[in-house]
Amino acid sequence: MIAEGAIAAGCRFFAGYPITPASGIYKSMIDELPKVGDIAISSPDEISALAFCVGASQRGFKAMTATSGPGFSLMIETLQYAVMTETPVVIALVQRLGPSTGGATQGGQGDALLVGHSIAGGYTLPVFSPSNPAEAFELTTHAFNVAEEFRTPVVLLTDKEVAMTFENIDYDRLRCSEPMFRKYFASSVDRGFRNYFFENRKDVPEFSPVGGDCKVTITGSAHDMSGKLQKNSAETIEVLKHLQEKISCNTPGMIAVDEDLQEGADSVIMSYGISARTCKEAVRAMRRRGERISFLNLQTLFPLPVQEIRNACGSAKKVIFVEENMTGLYKGELAGILNGKNVVAVNDVGKMITPAAIEDAAVEQAGGTA
Amino acid sequence: MISDRRENRVQGSYLKVDSRFPFCKGCGHHHITHAIDEALVKLNLDPRNVCITSDIGCVGLVDSLFESVHTFHTTHGRSTAFATGVELADSVLSDSKLKNVVVIGDGGAMIGLLHLVSAAQLNVDVTVVLYNNFLFGMTGGQNSSFSPMDFITATTPRGNIIPPIDIISVLDGAHGGFLARKTATDDDLAETIAVAINYPGFALVEVLELCTEYALRGNSIRGNKLAEVSPGKIMELGVISRRDERTDFGVAYRDKFPRRPSETNSRFIVPSASKIVNKRTGFIIAGTAGERVQFSAHMLVQAAVSCGANATQKNDNPVTQGSGFSISEVVLSGEEIYYTGIDTPDVVIVASYEGLAELKAQGVFDRTVAGTLIVADESLDLPNCEGRFLKIPLRRDYTPAGAAFGGLLAAVKTTGVLPLEIFKEVCAGQKNSASLIKMIEKVSGLS
Repeated sequence: MIAEGAIAAGCRFFAGYPITPASGIYKSMIDELPKVGDIAISSPDEISALAFCVGASQRGFKAMTATSGPGFSLMIETLQYAVMTETPVVIALVQRLGPSTGGATQGGQGDALLVGHSIAGGYTLPVFSPSNPAEAFELTTHAFNVAEEFRTPVVLLTDKEVAMTFENIDYDRLRCSEPMFRKYFASSVDRGFRNYFFENRKDVPEFSPVGGDCKVTITGSAHDMSGKLQKNSAETIEVLKHLQEKISCNTPGMIAVDEDLQEGADSVIMSYGISARTCKEAVRAMRRRGERISFLNLQTLFPLPVQEIRNACGSAKKVIFVEENMTGLYKGELAGILNGKNVVAVNDVGKMITPAAIEDAAVEQAGGTA
Repeated sequence: MISDRRENRVQGSYLKVDSRFPFCKGCGHHHITHAIDEALVKLNLDPRNVCITSDIGCVGLVDSLFESVHTFHTTHGRSTAFATGVELADSVLSDSKLKNVVVIGDGGAMIGLLHLVSAAQLNVDVTVVLYNNFLFGMTGGQNSSFSPMDFITATTPRGNIIPPIDIISVLDGAHGGFLARKTATDDDLAETIAVAINYPGFALVEVLELCTEYALRGNSIRGNKLAEVSPGKIMELGVISRRDERTDFGVAYRDKFPRRPSETNSRFIVPSASKIVNKRTGFIIAGTAGERVQFSAHMLVQAAVSCGANATQKNDNPVTQGSGFSISEVVLSGEEIYYTGIDTPDVVIVASYEGLAELKAQGVFDRTVAGTLIVADESLDLPNCEGRFLKIPLRRDYTPAGAAFGGLLAAVKTTGVLPLEIFKEVCAGQKNSASLIKMIEKVSGLS
C-alpha cells in the first residue's frame, strides 16, 4: 500500500536495494513504474539508492526509496545532505528486530529515535508512522506532500508486521490527498534565481531543476542563499536557522494523528505503528466491559505532535505508552509534554505486544512519571 | 584563439571571469579544471545543459569556479551516484539534454568505487574526471589507494608498500564505455575530455598530477614521470578502451519501457453481503517451505473475504526462502481486525515434521485450549496438549505439496467456519485449479 500511495502521490522515480522486510515495496515499484515509462531501478547499495533519488529529485521528479534499519544506517549521510540541500524525497523505513542484522523476518519498533534524531545539529526530520494498510496509503501520499511543500526529506516509519501482513481493505474508503508539487521559481520575476532564497526563515525557497533555465547551485556545505559555500557569515547562519524553522514554524500543517478520545477517561493509551493496532484491540475490549479509556495513534512522530498529545491527555491521570522495543524509546520524547502525569510503559522485543499486556497495564497502578 | 571562438558565436569560457583559483601554486588542479572548461568550449554546449557535480576535497571547490553551468557539490565519494540519479531522471523522464561531468579525487574514487563501477555498468551518460594526485591533500597529505609504491606521505613515512589501484582496469571489468588516462600537463588533455563528454554513455578520464604541498617532499617522482607508479611498472596513457557497441542506459530503458498511459488495475474481490463469519477465528497453518503453506493461507483469506469477512495473513519462515519450516497465521473476523497475532489458536494445521518442530519451538501447543481443532498428518507425534485432534494421512492422500491445503479443507469442513464451495470459486483462477478443485470435492465427499 506504500507503493500504491507513492504512485497516487505522483512518485516517478524509485531506487531500491533488497532488504527484508522492505523488499515488497521495491518489488511493487519495479512492477508498476516501468509500465508507464517511469523509473524503478536497482541500486548497488543503499547509499546509492538515496543518492539516485536525491539526484532525480533535483532534476525535478518525485522520488522514493525503501529500506530497513541496517540500510537506513547507511543512508544517514545522504539523508542529511537532502536536508541541507532542501531536497524533497521520501524514505520508507520498514523496521525489523535489531540491533545489527537482528531478525530479518521479525518485527520491531526500535528505530523511532534513530530516525527522529538522525540529523546532526538538532534538525527536525518529518516522520510518519502508519499502523495498517489504509494508513500506509494515506500517510504515504501525505509524506510526499510534506516533502514537496517544505522541500525536505520525509521518513515513513513502518515495520515488518504492518508492511508484510496481507489483509483485505476497502478501496472505496481510502482517502487520497491531492498531490502537491514543490513551488517552482517563476522566471518572470525581476530578481534572479537563488537556490536557497527566502524572505522569512519559515518560508520555503522556490525550486528550479538541474537542467532548467536557471543556473542552480546545489551544495551540502554550509552556504548562503545563493548556494555559495561559506563558513559562518550572518546569511549562512540565517540559512541554517531557516532549515529548522521552515519545519518547526509550519508544524500544524504536517501533523496527522488518529484520535479516539472519551470524555472523562482516567487513562489514555498512546502508541504508533503495529502496536497502535494492538492497542485498538485492547481499547475495544475494555470499552465493551464498560471502561472509559482514550486512545491516541501517533501517525506523526516528528515534528512532535505536542498539542494533540496534550489534548488527548486532557484530565487523564495515567498515560500508557506502548511500543515494541527494549526501553520505550518514544516515551522519552513525552517528558516535556506530560508534566507530572503517570506514565506506564508497555514494551517488548522479539514478538508483538499482546492486547492482554496492554489491558493489564491499564488496570495496574501507575509505575512512574514522565 | 579566443577571438576566433567569439567570431563563431561560441562561448569563450564557462569559468567565472573574476574568480581566482583556490589551489596551491603549481597544483595540477589548475590544468585539469582549465582543460574541462576548454572541452566544454570545444563542444559549444549550452551551459544550461551542463551539470558539474563535485566531490569532497580540493576538487570539491572546482564546481564553484564555473559561472553559468548547473553545479552540484555533494558528499565524499558519492558524487557519481548523485550525478547518476540526475542523469537517470534526465534521460528517461525528461528530454535527455544534460551532459553530466563529475569531478572527483583519488580519495573519493576509492571510497565511492562502487558508484563508479555502477555508473560504468549502467552506462549512464556521465563523464568522470578523476583528479589523481595520489594522496589526500586537503586533510593533510595522507596516502590513498592510488599512492604509488614507495610513495612518502604523512601516513606512509617510510614509503608505501601497497601497490596502487588500477582504476581503468577495474572499470574495464565493469564494461566502462570510454576509459582514458592522461597527465595534467598533456597538450591534448582538453581534447580527450571533450571526446569523453561527447561519448554517449559512461566515460572516465583519470588525470595524473602532483600535490605540490605534500607530494614533492620526500618523493623523487616528478611531473614528467607520473605514470611510473612502481619500479619497472609504467601505467598506460591515452584512450585505453572505447566500447561503441554499448547503448546509453536511458536509450535502452526507454526502448524496454516506453511511455504509456496507465491502465487501471482491477483485481478486486467484491465481497458478498453474507457476512457468515462473526466470531474471530485464528488459524495457524504449519508445514514445510515449498509445500504451499502460504498459498493455502492465501486461499483461506480470499475465501473469507469473498464471504464478506475481514482477514489477515502473516507468514513466517527461516531466513532462507525454500527450505525449513513455513508457517502462516490467518485471522478471520466479522468485525475489523486490529491485532493480527493469535494468542489462543482456534485451528492448528500441521502438515509436516518441520512445521511441527517449529510450532513446538514457538510454544503454540502451550496456548491451545479444549476447543482448539488440531489437524495433523497421521505420521506426526503431537505433544500432549489441549484440543480436539483430527489425524489424517494428509501427505499420502493429498501428496506432500497438497498436505497443507488438504488439512486446511478438512479443518474448514469440520469447523464449518466457511462453506467449502467458496474455495472452488477462489481456486478457479489458480494455475493448477483442476487438481485443487478435485481436492475440494474429495474433502466435501468425506463423511
